[in-house]
Amino acid sequence: MSFLRLRDVSVEFPIYQASSRSIKKLLLASSTRGNIARDANDRINVRALSRISFDVADGDRFALIGLNGAGKTTLLKVLAGVYEPTSGRFASSGRVSSLLDMNLGFNFDATGRENIILRGMYMDIHPREMRERAAEAAEFTELGDYLDMPVRTYSAGMIIRLAFAASTCTPPDVLIMDEWLTAGDAQFLEKAQRRVESLVRASSILVLASHSLELVQQWCNRGILLHQGRAAMIGPVEEIIASYRRLVESGIPPDSSLEAADG
Amino acid sequence: MSSSESVVNFEAGETTALSAGSDRILEAAADLVDGLRRSWLWTNLAHQDLKLRYRGSILGPFWQTITTAVMIGAMGFIYAELFRTPLEDYLPLLAAGLVFWQFTSGMITEGCTTFYSVQGIIQQVKLPLSLHAYRLVYRNLLILLHNFAIVPIVFLIFPKPVVWLQILELGPGLGLILLNGVWVSILLGMISARFRDVPPIVASIVQVLFFITPIFWPATALGEHRWLAEFNPLYAAIDVMRAPLLGQPTELYSWLILAIVTVLGWAGTFVFFARFRARIAYWA
Repeated sequence: MSFLRLRDVSVEFPIYQASSRSIKKLLLASSTRGNIARDANDRINVRALSRISFDVADGDRFALIGLNGAGKTTLLKVLAGVYEPTSGRFASSGRVSSLLDMNLGFNFDATGRENIILRGMYMDIHPREMRERAAEAAEFTELGDYLDMPVRTYSAGMIIRLAFAASTCTPPDVLIMDEWLTAGDAQFLEKAQRRVESLVRASSILVLASHSLELVQQWCNRGILLHQGRAAMIGPVEEIIASYRRLVESGIPPDSSLEAADG
Repeated sequence: MSSSESVVNFEAGETTALSAGSDRILEAAADLVDGLRRSWLWTNLAHQDLKLRYRGSILGPFWQTITTAVMIGAMGFIYAELFRTPLEDYLPLLAAGLVFWQFTSGMITEGCTTFYSVQGIIQQVKLPLSLHAYRLVYRNLLILLHNFAIVPIVFLIFPKPVVWLQILELGPGLGLILLNGVWVSILLGMISARFRDVPPIVASIVQVLFFITPIFWPATALGEHRWLAEFNPLYAAIDVMRAPLLGQPTELYSWLILAIVTVLGWAGTFVFFARFRARIAYWA
């Protein structure tokens, strides 16, 4: 049984590189950002996620929606086990496969084929076991002779194909996807969608972050609406989509107490 | 979902509220063990690193072997003269010294890149972080094996009575250096991921150390200032690998210094790793 469980999960980024001054300006200029504060050492902290709690159970197709900077990608990284929460608890069970940033984890000097094997290794699959699946994944990309060329010669679309095919070559228990997938061309997107559908059938959990309400409606049954790093709403997908529409139109998040946070 | 509570509770200094201390120690230990268990992964990755680094080159990793050979040839004649040492004594010392220095210093300078050079992986999948240190150390061991080809050649040109029993001593010496390589790459990797000024600082220090460590000159040349070499852990590292090859006794203090460095280094690194391991993904 796979599951994802978050209890009061918060994530804070200390910002080292930027000067305090310019970050302050950023804070004043922007209203969609999360919370920015100083700690005891006068260091700048960005609170990307604030006290998020929810459960994703076997069979769930869980959507993350929210405006830019609402914390979707950070939450995906927590779910993928990449970011350990700075406070709160996160627990999960099942083998996770994450499609977060298509450029991440590729070796641009290696060929497409080698990168498929490489991606498999990073997903804990031994190259021996990977051989058959890699051939199938290579087939799926429809990249032909490009598969034997270094990835640095690829176009953005080709990289998406490769990343997608490699990461989905074996059904994970938990599939975590960021919205980049929607950047593929229409023909590939349709094909990818079929593959994800079969993967989701085979795997137990899908978590998808997207701006495409259509895609979310089509693929997901539950979800979370993130607003400024907080859970503005968690529930059935129709309800969170409706809230998201209201948020976009009027700027009012469903939980009015959130307004106080802006002050 | 109400989040009204969270509004008030966002206060300064709360970032340190990671998991409890004992959890952190267990998680750090689990990371080190899980990483080691995935030897198939880090050996494969290290082999691929080398393959890609030298793709399109005919001699591949042997280029560095040739560079080292040229350096030994060029330096050998001049410094043998300067130190007034017979060539047949000086060249084996220089060859073994340079080969082992490149191995040791390579792990230190590359150790700075342990984590940030693989930030794409760290940000994408959850894997034991120690894996990247094992990969780096193993990769440097592979490079050493290529480079080592020079040593038997020099020994063929200047035949020396080989004390076979003593060559066995190379095993524990090399093992100890590899063990130290792991903590060095974890420690420097973490510090460098957080403070990007560290790699150039380390590079300059290593360069200085090359000249002040008895690598291309015998420690005996220091005369009464021999303690300068005796307290240098890098000399100890070179000595435990080189002396068995040259048929000389390894200095007892070399083992002693190295044992102290291994214990202190691992202890310090472990504390540091336990405390900041969860932060590496944020830094990288």
